[in-house]
Amino acid sequence: MGIEGILNEGFITTGADKLINWARTGSLWPMTFGLSCCAVEMMHAGASRFDLDRFGVIFRPSPRQSDVMVVAGTLTNKMASALRKVYDQMPSPKWVISMGSCANGGGYYHYSYSVVRSVDRIVPVDIYVPGCPPTAEALLYGVMQLQEKIKRTNTIAKESSKSLNNISG
Amino acid sequence: MVDRKKLEELVELLESEFRDKLSFSISDINELTVEFDSVDLIVLCNFLKDNSRCRFEQLVDLCGVDYLTYGLTDESGLESVEMSEPRFAVVYHLLSLTNNQRIRLRAFVNNKSLSVSSVVDIWPSANWYEREAFDLLGISFSDHPDLRRIYTDYGFEGHPLRKDFPIIGEVEVIYDPERKKVVNQAVTIENRQFTPKVIREDLRYE
Repeated sequence: MGIEGILNEGFITTGADKLINWARTGSLWPMTFGLSCCAVEMMHAGASRFDLDRFGVIFRPSPRQSDVMVVAGTLTNKMASALRKVYDQMPSPKWVISMGSCANGGGYYHYSYSVVRSVDRIVPVDIYVPGCPPTAEALLYGVMQLQEKIKRTNTIAKESSKSLNNISG
Repeated sequence: MVDRKKLEELVELLESEFRDKLSFSISDINELTVEFDSVDLIVLCNFLKDNSRCRFEQLVDLCGVDYLTYGLTDESGLESVEMSEPRFAVVYHLLSLTNNQRIRLRAFVNNKSLSVSSVVDIWPSANWYEREAFDLLGISFSDHPDLRRIYTDYGFEGHPLRKDFPIIGEVEVIYDPERKKVVNQAVTIENRQFTPKVIREDLRYE
């Protein structure tokens, strides 16, 4: 958490950005965006055996209440604009976890006429979880990696440019 | 176990009714296939549904077939292929619960009109199946109540299950940050040939 000093009077000091980013890591609320078999592994990660709730991760049914989107599965051309719309509806700060081969780079359907060859063509991705499908542990690890990434962010500014510039062909 | 004799009786009945318009084949596992030109489709289907010895009251499946590369090992000279025989067929699988019997129909489609009569009035389940065949193969079904695409993207061009459709397609989607929307652009990857060029010629395929 970046504690700078423990003072004798019984309080500690740190930076506001560090405190706020630390708080954010403990309540990542993912937008449920299950597209295919990866979604089943995502459900496993959320259920009692792996229990994402231990990390403060609770699935939300609405993008308005979410700050991370788990793209779990094959993104088709027809679904792409809907995915972008959901992403745009999420309040900042927001992050994206791309789950599985199909979301990462088209995967098995890379040469298909109807599948997006990586979701980072549509939304900016923070964490790529490999696998086909990734196990629930792998997704859990991806969430923990995202937490580390957020903790290392030294700003609490609104990231207006991120969603635009991170996309390249 | 399907009774072969029962199938042969059905063939006799259809032969007496339709003369030489139909051709029949019964496979080793007693599946009856009837092939014919699609102009006779509606008469035949009505007969199969209403005749007391047929009673095929269910349409289980309907799909289109593209025979463009049928039997070819190499698809490189595809554009020069002139089809003298019908390129497309529509296949119907019917089930009669009354007589515990199944039948397969294969209607060959005229190459110029690419049109078949719709069977939605006979079996309502054909509605979305026919939309699928229209979407993926471009076979049009006359008198269909709502013939529009069912699977492909809004504004999609072409028919992806046709053998001369490139598997990578013509367009791909990408987010355009300036227009703030997902847009189509020309496809950026190279097409690959996936069709195996080996034709197996051993005992299993004789």
